Amino acid sequence: MIEIAGLSKTFGSGASAFTALKDINVTIQENEFFTLLGPSGCGKTTLLRSIAGFVDPSTGTLTINGEDILSKPPFARPVNTVFQNYALFPHMTVAENIGFGLEMQDRPKAEIKSVVGDMLELVQMTQMADRMTSQISGGQQQRVALARALAPKPEVLLLDEPLSALDFKLRKEMQIELKRLQAETGITFVFVTHDQEEALTMSDRIAVMNAGRILQIGGPKDIYDHPAERFVADFIGDTNFVDGEVKKVAGETAQVQLQSGKVIKARNVAGGATSGPVTVAVRPEHADLSAPGGLIDGTLKNIIYFGTDTHYHVQTDDGSTFVIRRQNQPDAVEAHEVGEKVGVTFNAGVAQILRD
Amino acid sequence: MSNETQSAKTRWLLLSPALFILSIAAAGPLLIVLVYSFLTAGDYGGVVWDFSTDAWFNVFAEKDFFDDTIGFSDAHLSIFWRSVKLSLMTTIVALLVGFPTAYFIATRPESQRNAWMLLIMVPFWTNLLIRTFAVMEIIRNEGVINSVLIKIGLISEPIQMLYTEFAVTLGMFYVFLPLMVLPVYASMERMDFSLVEAAYDLYASRWRVLKRVIFPLVKPGVVAGSILVFIPSLGAYVTPRVLGGGKQLMLGNLIELQYGQGRNWPLGAALSITLLAIVMVALIFYVRAAGDEETSHG
Ligand SMILES: Nc1ncnc2c1ncn2[C@@H]1O[C@H](COP(=O)(O)OP(=O)(O)OP(=O)(O)O)[C@@H](O)[C@H]1O
Ligand SMILES: [Mg+2]
Repeated sequence: MIEIAGLSKTFGSGASAFTALKDINVTIQENEFFTLLGPSGCGKTTLLRSIAGFVDPSTGTLTINGEDILSKPPFARPVNTVFQNYALFPHMTVAENIGFGLEMQDRPKAEIKSVVGDMLELVQMTQMADRMTSQISGGQQQRVALARALAPKPEVLLLDEPLSALDFKLRKEMQIELKRLQAETGITFVFVTHDQEEALTMSDRIAVMNAGRILQIGGPKDIYDHPAERFVADFIGDTNFVDGEVKKVAGETAQVQLQSGKVIKARNVAGGATSGPVTVAVRPEHADLSAPGGLIDGTLKNIIYFGTDTHYHVQTDDGSTFVIRRQNQPDAVEAHEVGEKVGVTFNAGVAQILRD
Repeated sequence: MSNETQSAKTRWLLLSPALFILSIAAAGPLLIVLVYSFLTAGDYGGVVWDFSTDAWFNVFAEKDFFDDTIGFSDAHLSIFWRSVKLSLMTTIVALLVGFPTAYFIATRPESQRNAWMLLIMVPFWTNLLIRTFAVMEIIRNEGVINSVLIKIGLISEPIQMLYTEFAVTLGMFYVFLPLMVLPVYASMERMDFSLVEAAYDLYASRWRVLKRVIFPLVKPGVVAGSILVFIPSLGAYVTPRVLGGGKQLMLGNLIELQYGQGRNWPLGAALSITLLAIVMVALIFYVRAAGDEETSHG
């Protein structure tokens, strides 16, 4: 279990000081596939490097299984890293790379040999054991980097965008393989990505980061269905933002009056507004078209056919755009046409009040 | 005409200026020196065009002044030995100092590295004699070190440092250090420092990171630097002359002596060829050893 509390990091000092991490609090469970998701420059690598020991946090505590590790150098932490650029040793073979960590731990030669053999098998690289790392493909290098980090059986494996250099197909394969490896080894994975789809498909839990802060932590479904902040809703998936005013709050739900005058039931998160103007988020696939007189009215501006589904762009009467996504049925005839007056409807509870 | 012969022609054309200069500046003089070494010395310097192997005999052996018995030339052999020994020492010290220096510079932020390199290079642009006399000023009996030590009462008599092998080594080290730092720094700067992090991450201590990752990766720079320091040290002339004070002669001084006061050009020529041979043998051994280790690694 990794416990991070009040962690912050400021690079430089004086006028050039830059705070890359602000008050990070997170607990990562054993055997969890935990993902740090956020746009470029939000501090994902800095947080990962703090755990690995290459960044010295300015404040805060960091323990692994109850033991403080901030005072320990990288080589004394029970943590291994798969680097973004793999960082394989170019003067060693594939097998020597994988055995390096064990060798540095002074494990017996026979043990090193057998573990390296197991690892080669695990990542399906047995045939390439004696190649130099410059003589294997990018995907193979990625697997060697993974095997090298797994070989010493660390308690935590840190992965910094390990799939970003791979092409689409290989990436999909490696995503499945990574999941399999995590299940087989039972090691805690802390995985960094800026690809929301990758995060949603692979993670047990996701921490969404922006500008040095963790905005929301939760399971993929939780994060997707119930984004707590505008940034999270916007960053993950597509979202319609609708302005309204909170009329009444009752526990998890609140009544919000939209600009059309209609009142909807929306989900309210902890710390959300209890009165006054708010923004609610509605996913395109959670809404539908109706005859005029829906929750929001407008004009159909665009119909875009995507194969699996069709997107309807509605220009609402208050001037914004609302997107609706409908799954396609075989041989269905398009019932709507551009320019038509339409209404937008969605079920009670799919709208989510955002914290600002 | 095929493209290949065309490009081969172009290649020769491009090479020709270099070949021309090399043949005039290196091959030609070398040939002359080789020929001279088999001629007879003129009475007032120069050579007489009579074939003789005297010079080569005198490189290694000498006739006893009194009874004409032949023995090894102790004087020459001790100078050969000193040259090799001091050059090796210089190379080792330059490596021990130059390697951490290069590492230090390579790990500075990119904006500062050139400034640090400039500091290393500045002495290199200063006249050799001036630099050598600067070393002399520091280590002579009335020099900076001795004055300070006497002033603070650590010693009462000055320590004799000038005109010793130590002085010569120190001088050569100082003069040739940039030749070590430059190539080592060049290969270190090219090194991917995330490899160092990867090694730390995989439980390697600092010492083992150095031994298993950094050193193997910058070895080409170390080999180049060692060669660049060793060779000019072996032929050094000004530094042993000034700091060795005629007591610590090296091969360069011995050769100069033959062309000057000794008036024995053939012997000077034979000694020059000997120096060249020592350099070649040392190079072959060194490059072999460096290469062997490489192949045994991978
Ligand atoms: N050593 C450093 N000195 C100064 N600023 C730094 C340093 N390292 C990182 N930063 C800054 O901290 C911020 C976060 O960097 P970080 O590398 O953690 O981002 P990231 O989320 O990993 O981005 P990416 O997805 O592009 O890899 C960036 O604005 C970066 O410029
Ligand atoms: Mg990063």
